[in-house]
Parts: sequence; C-alpha cells; structure tokens
Amino acid sequence: MHIPDGYLSPSTCAVGYAVAIPTWAIASKRVSKVVKTRNVPMLAVFSALSFLVMMFNVPIPDGTTAHAVGGAVIAICLGPWAAVIAVSVALLFQALLFGDGGVLSYGVNVVNMAIILPFVGYGIYRLIAGRTPLTSGRRVVAAAIGGYVGINAAALAAAVEFGIQPDLFKSADGTPLYSPYHLSQTIPAMAIPHLTIAGLVEAVMSAAIVAYLQRADVSRLVPSHPGIPLTEADRAPRPARTLAPARVALGFVVLMVVLSPLGLLAPGGAFGEDNPNDLNLNKLGLHAVPAGLDKYNGFWSHTLLGGYGFSSGDHADLGYILSALIGIVVVGVAILLIGLVMRAVLGRRDADREREQEPQRLG
Amino acid sequence: MTTQESLISHDHAGPPTLSAGDHAPLPADAPPGAIFVARGLRYSYLDRFAALDGVDLDVMPGEMVALLGANGSGKSTLLKVLDGLVFPSEGTLHAFGHLVTEGNLEDEQYVEAFRSRVGFVFQNSDTQVFSPTVREEVAFGCLQLGLSAEETRQRVDDVLGMLGIADLADRAPFQLSGGQKKKVAIASVLVMNPEVLLFDEPTAALDPRSQQWLAELIVELNAAGKTIVYATHDLDVLEQIATRCVVFSEDHRILASGPPGAILDDTALLLSANLIHEHSHVHLREGQRVEHSHAHQRGGHHH
Amino acid sequence: MAEHTTTTTPSWLLSSNVGLCPCGCIGKRTKGSFVEKTLTGGSDLLRQVMFSDDLARRSGLLQRLDPRAKLGGMLLLLIGAGLAHHLETLLATYVVVLALAGASRVPLGFFLKRVWLFVPIFTLIVVLPATLSIVTHGDVVVELWSWHGQPQGLTAQGLRSAALVVSRVAVSISLVVLVTVTTPWNRLLAGLRGLGVPRMFILVIGMAYRYIFLLLDSVTDMYEARKARTMARVKHDRTARAFVGASAGALVGKANQLSEEVHQAMVARGYRGEARVLDTLRLRRADLVALAVAVLATALMLTADRMLGR
Repeated sequence: MHIPDGYLSPSTCAVGYAVAIPTWAIASKRVSKVVKTRNVPMLAVFSALSFLVMMFNVPIPDGTTAHAVGGAVIAICLGPWAAVIAVSVALLFQALLFGDGGVLSYGVNVVNMAIILPFVGYGIYRLIAGRTPLTSGRRVVAAAIGGYVGINAAALAAAVEFGIQPDLFKSADGTPLYSPYHLSQTIPAMAIPHLTIAGLVEAVMSAAIVAYLQRADVSRLVPSHPGIPLTEADRAPRPARTLAPARVALGFVVLMVVLSPLGLLAPGGAFGEDNPNDLNLNKLGLHAVPAGLDKYNGFWSHTLLGGYGFSSGDHADLGYILSALIGIVVVGVAILLIGLVMRAVLGRRDADREREQEPQRLG
Repeated sequence: MTTQESLISHDHAGPPTLSAGDHAPLPADAPPGAIFVARGLRYSYLDRFAALDGVDLDVMPGEMVALLGANGSGKSTLLKVLDGLVFPSEGTLHAFGHLVTEGNLEDEQYVEAFRSRVGFVFQNSDTQVFSPTVREEVAFGCLQLGLSAEETRQRVDDVLGMLGIADLADRAPFQLSGGQKKKVAIASVLVMNPEVLLFDEPTAALDPRSQQWLAELIVELNAAGKTIVYATHDLDVLEQIATRCVVFSEDHRILASGPPGAILDDTALLLSANLIHEHSHVHLREGQRVEHSHAHQRGGHHH
Repeated sequence: MAEHTTTTTPSWLLSSNVGLCPCGCIGKRTKGSFVEKTLTGGSDLLRQVMFSDDLARRSGLLQRLDPRAKLGGMLLLLIGAGLAHHLETLLATYVVVLALAGASRVPLGFFLKRVWLFVPIFTLIVVLPATLSIVTHGDVVVELWSWHGQPQGLTAQGLRSAALVVSRVAVSISLVVLVTVTTPWNRLLAGLRGLGVPRMFILVIGMAYRYIFLLLDSVTDMYEARKARTMARVKHDRTARAFVGASAGALVGKANQLSEEVHQAMVARGYRGEARVLDTLRLRRADLVALAVAVLATALMLTADRMLGR
C-alpha cells in the first residue's frame, strides 16, 4: 500500500501533507498531554513494531504482496493519536532508508496508513466493544473487525488517490502523466488483496495482541480506555450518551468524503439529473419535453459554481475540486447549525424535566 | 586504566539542595550521614506479585553494598526504589536526608539534584543504550541536567577516553558487542559524576575478561569516594568487592546483613536464600577463604 | 519454593531413541516459508544499512555537505521530477543523479541494484497493461487485435505514460537513495531536526530505529525456537501465518516491557519529558552553494520541460 514517488501528482502529494501536518501537530499535543514522559519510548518501540509488521509481506497469489500495518491495534493500545505518530515514524523509515513509499508521497501514505487506518479501526473497535469490560471477549472480536475494516479503508483511500490521477492530470494528447489507471481499475486491484489476505492478517494480529494483553497484563489497556471497567464485577452504571453536534457534523462529512468517489465509478450520467434537451424522448415515448419541466428548468441559475466549475469554464479540474471542498464545508456547517439548534431545544426540555425531578431527589 | 580526576573526584560545586513538598522526619534509628535510609518498604507488581515485603536498609557513604539473592527475590526492585524509578506502596525512603516520593521527584530542583547524585547502570544494556550514536548516548544525562553543550562534549570525550572506548564515539549501538554496550552504559552514567552508583547484575552476560575489568573499575570508583550498591547472585566474582553483603530471602525480605566473610561462612543462610545448592558446598568452601581475606583487607580501609 | 527441588528426570528423556520420528532423517527439504524469507530479508536489511553507513563515511562530494542542504536539495529535485511532463527531462535528470553518485564514490553497480531491484521493476509490471488501448485510449501504434472494427493494441499515449511513470519513479528513488546512502543515520536525523521536525518526533524516530534491530532479533529468536520444535511441515504458509498471529502478541508484550525499561533508563538520567540534544550542525558556504545549485537545477529542469511543449 506504500505509494512511491512518481505515481501521484505533486499537487496530490501537497494535499497529503496539508492533511498530515496539522494532524501531527494535534497528535503530538494530545499524546504529550496523556502520559507525560512515558510516551517517547512507548511510541518508539511501537513504531519499531509497526515497521516490523509491515516488513512481513504476505504473499498474494497474483504475484504482489500485501501487508498488515498494525495501526488499528496500536490505536487500541495507545490511543489513535499515538498510533498516528507511531505509524508515521515507521513509514518515514521505509521511505528514507528502504525506498518503500516515496518522500513526496509520504504525506499521502501517512493519511492512508497512519491516519485513516487507526482512526477507522479504532472507531469500529469502540463501536463494537461499547462499554464491555476490558477483559471481555467482545473486545477481541472488536479489535479483529476494527483492524479488518481499518486496513480496507486505507486501501480504498489509496485506490482513490491512484484512480483520480489519470482524469485530473494528463497532457494535451491524453497521455496520463502519473498513475494511468482509473478508479474502476484501481479499486478492485487494491480491494481484492486487502479484503482477503492483508485484512485477515491485520484482523488476526489485532485480535491476538488484544487477547494477549487481556491475559498477560490488562492494566496496559487502562490508559487508552478511560472509564472502562476492568472486569464484569466493577462495571459502573452507564452514563447517558451525548452526541455533540460538532461531532455529528464531522462524522457526516467524513462519511461523505469517503463515499463520494464511488459516484465516479458508475457509468453513464446521474438518473433524472440531465438537461431536459438531452433526454432521449423517443425511448420514453414522448414527443416533446414536458411543459412543466421545460418551464421550471433553469428557474434558478444564480449558482456560485455552476456545473461544478468556474463560470468561465477555465481550470475544470481545479474548479471541480474547489466545488467539492466548498460543498463539504457548507454541508458540514449546516449540519452543525441544525445540531446546535436541536441541542438548544432538547436541552431546554431536559432541563425542564430535571427541574421537575429536583424536589423528589431532595426529599 | 587512567582515572581522570575531573570525573572521579568529588567536585560537586554546590549541588542544588534536595528539598521539596513531601516531608517526613528521618527515622529515629537512622545513622547520621546515611545516604539511603529505607524503612518498611513494600512493593508489588500489578498489585499481585510481591517484590518487596518490609525491607529496611541503610547505606553509608563510601560503602560497597552487595545485594545478594536468588532470581526474583526483590533486589532489582529495591535498586529501582533507591533510584526513584518505582515507588513503594508502603514504607519510606530517605536519600541524602530527604524523603523520596513521586511528588517530590516532580520538583525541578529536587529531581535535578537527585538524578545528578544517583546513577543507575541497568542489567540490560540494550534498554539503557537508546540513542542513535554512542556520543549522543553518553551526552544524554548531562544535557538533561542542564550542562552546556561545550562542557558536555568535554566530559563525554573524557569519559570515553577513560573507559577506552573513544573509537566507538560515532558508532551506532546495534553495532556494538555486549561488553562494549555495557561500557557505554557505564560511561553514560559516570559522565554525570554521581555520588552513588547502583548496578543491577553488573557482570551478568559478560565474558570473564569484561567481568574482571568491571570488578576492578568498581573498586577504583569506590576508592575515589563513590558509594556503590549492586545486585547480584554471582558469589564467585563480586563478593571480592563488597564491604557489606545484604541477603534477600525468596519471600522478599532481608535475611541478613554483614561483612562478606561472615555471610559467606553461613552456609545455612546461603542455602535458605537459594544462593547455593547443597552440592556446591565443597566448591564454595574453597572460594570462601579467598573472599574472606579480601573482605578483611578492604574492611581495613573503611572502618 | 525455598525448599530445594529434586527433579526426577523422566526416563524417556534419558533414552537415546528418537522419540517421535522413528523414520530417521529422511524427507524432502521444503523451501523456506514467507516468514523465513522475511526474517532473512530482515537481517539482510540490517547488513545493508550498516554497509550504507560505510558509504556515508567515504570522502565524496555529497558526503561533505550538510544534511539539511542535501535534504533540501533532494526535496526540490523531487518536486521538479514530479512536475516534469517529458521523458527527456527525466532522463537528463537521471544522468545528473548518476553523475552525482559517481562524484560521491557510490559504486555504480550497488547504486543501480539498490534503486532498480524492487520498485521501478515492480512499477514496470504494474503499468504494462496501461499501455493497451483498453486502459489508455488514444492513437493505436501497434495493433494487436480489433474489436467491433476498431483496432486495439498499444497506444502512443499508453506507452508514453508508462515510460513517464517508470522513469519518474526511478529518478525519485535514485534521489532518495543517493541522499540516504551518503549520510550517516545520525546526521540524517540532525538534518531532519534542522528542517524543523519537532524534537519529540526526532527522539521517537531515533529510538525506534534503534529498537527495530532489537525487536527483529527477538522475532528471529522466536522463529528459530519454533522452527527447532517443528518437525513436520503442514501447509507451511498457513502455519506461518498462525505463527505471525501468535508471536505478535508475545512481541507486543516484549515491546511493552522494553518501552517501560527504556523509559526508566531515561528517567534515571534526568529525562523529564523534553529531551535536549547535542546540536552540531553548521551551514557552511559549500552547503549554501549546493542548495543554490539545486534551486537552479530544478528551475532549469522545469524551464526545459516547458520548452519541450505541454
């Protein structure tokens, strides 16, 4: 999954760094806050571990290799932010010392394997494990599924980064300048080995490590699982779940970003979105564009980025990406606002209910 | 071996004083001037496996104390407690007349004074030699304690020269042999010029020549005024260089403490501490006579 | 536990018969599983890194430069190679890189092998299908078959694209390899620090590098121990994978313990969360000149590339 230099355009690499650098900044801040001095040797040893795990290339029938990363299980043991640093360092070694993965594409590789993988893996793990005790068998299963989904999410991200290259970057005569394969080719190429071999290895490894720690020294899991009981016996009453609007908005945006390139795979145009004049009237048994459709089509034409580009039609690719970014931000902000309003309304209702219960508690 | 005066001599030009938030008076029976005064230390790993079960110990300046005990008897843990790396669940430790607690070691001045006075050579050199090069490894302690880069560089060169490993300065630790790594680990502690040196199993996994070299170095450091405390279960080499032996039982208590001659004559004691096996009597008795005379010679120096 | 233990040795242990395998030592040698290959690969890698350290200490052109100048120049040229659209530009750059390797006394055979052996050849295989018209549409130059009356085969665009990607990959890897083999590891770290990588990261990087070798040794030990206990091989890849699963747990345990001990060793020497290090880098005039040359070279490269057309 290590993308070497030369497969991706420098602008794609720049986007990778643009995501990676702030994430590193947050990660180092978060990590140094958690355990003061212990984190440096711990991160070092775990990134050495991740490096070794990546070295274990599992042979795949079609002649290539796939490998586990260990990002999910590091996230489970040390927290996702620590995993970001540990895996980033392992990737740096591979890029600098062994030419595995490029230097310009390092940022993109970090986004895939050191950011997407641990966070997706950890998220799935949290979701499945819930508030079960640290020694619960469900955590082992959760770790396996987390690792499996995490590495496949990372592989999908890599496939998307490869696949958008020929459409975005080609010379005047259509020669692709970077990776020549389209999404319809890159996604299966990455998905098949990772859904089968690499995903399985990551799953087995994650489960084995969590099971080992449960058996050998469960206290190691405590710092990364605040508030989770050790065994069934000391389970605390469950606190009410709160959904912060900012978190919901962010989750939604991330989901959309992950899913959106799927649309580029589908052949043909989007159903029911064509210009009325492009409708195949004969096929539909019509003689003319329906009057209502004709009348109201183009009713609103004051869009900022019509046709997902600049009005002048220049820089089509740039315009498309810019449209996507603006769209993401607008939708995210909208959801955030809706959430804030809802919380204000619900919060008032909760407060009322609490006030009703107050006298009883005092009595 | 050339002993560099600047490194070995007591040149603590007004070290920062050890005093911080947590206080407890020195125990009444503490001998005056003691470096370490430990009373009733208890410690267990993971709250399950006991390592220390009520340990009392005093260490006086200039002593060479050998902590003897079978594997897992708690001597390594005691060294870690003495170095303020782990903290007892019960009992108190005073170092240089001041209480050692986790809270006190968070105080900048206190920790700087404590760390510059007490050095620890770990059993596993691989854990102690963690820097990319030998030079950086040896410089680490001085830099953490705020010495200037200039002075650090000078000290590193001196200590590497003293231990005869100047040619390794720019090598990476994984290129070194076990004996060389041990020398680097010792250099990285000596460079800070501590008053007290703690060694955990110093001769374990060393070849005979390195063992002999290390024994001589310990004697030399002690002659230069360093207080030495080390853990070992090797009676053959290191009891030559102890002024006092402290014997740990397998249930994590101190069985006996005394001059090496007396301890080594007490076969029943050594047997119960699992330091010797019944069948090793004959062999040991031969060795003992040698140890005995050594211990007496040394005893004359210090008492 | 204190009472002396008298162990009675089971009689089968004292008998000299081969206990489990009466057939003696016949049976075919199986070729090593992937774990074995990876482990031997791992120790090879260790040797290679040490050999590179050797190269880094020769007196050549790049060895004399400050690591920051080298890293900066490398980044500039990498971006240049990334932005170049013409094969000619990339080939010219490659010639310059080879000349630099020569001037830095890097043996040409070693350099070519290190660069080409894995990634560019792999890339070549990967991009081969992209030369066909079914992937890259365009002007068919070598007709291989026809479909619905349309000639299909290698397209000019496909061929050019493949050549472009492979040569760009090769140039990029050559640049990185050239810088890393001419720079000792600790100088490289100092260079990264000089380029603004935070100290915490540098410390983690330096220590992780050191412990890769230690952990690799323990994996090798575990594997050797397992191999010594295994007599028959059943489906060796599957058992090998089971081994990975089982040893991963033990390895994490070891890693955890190791990190705890290293932490104590650091604390014992006064570490309080912020490591201070010896800084020994000083930019000299030669380094500035080198950096300026790299800037000019990149500018020249991109100008020439533009002049060749879009």
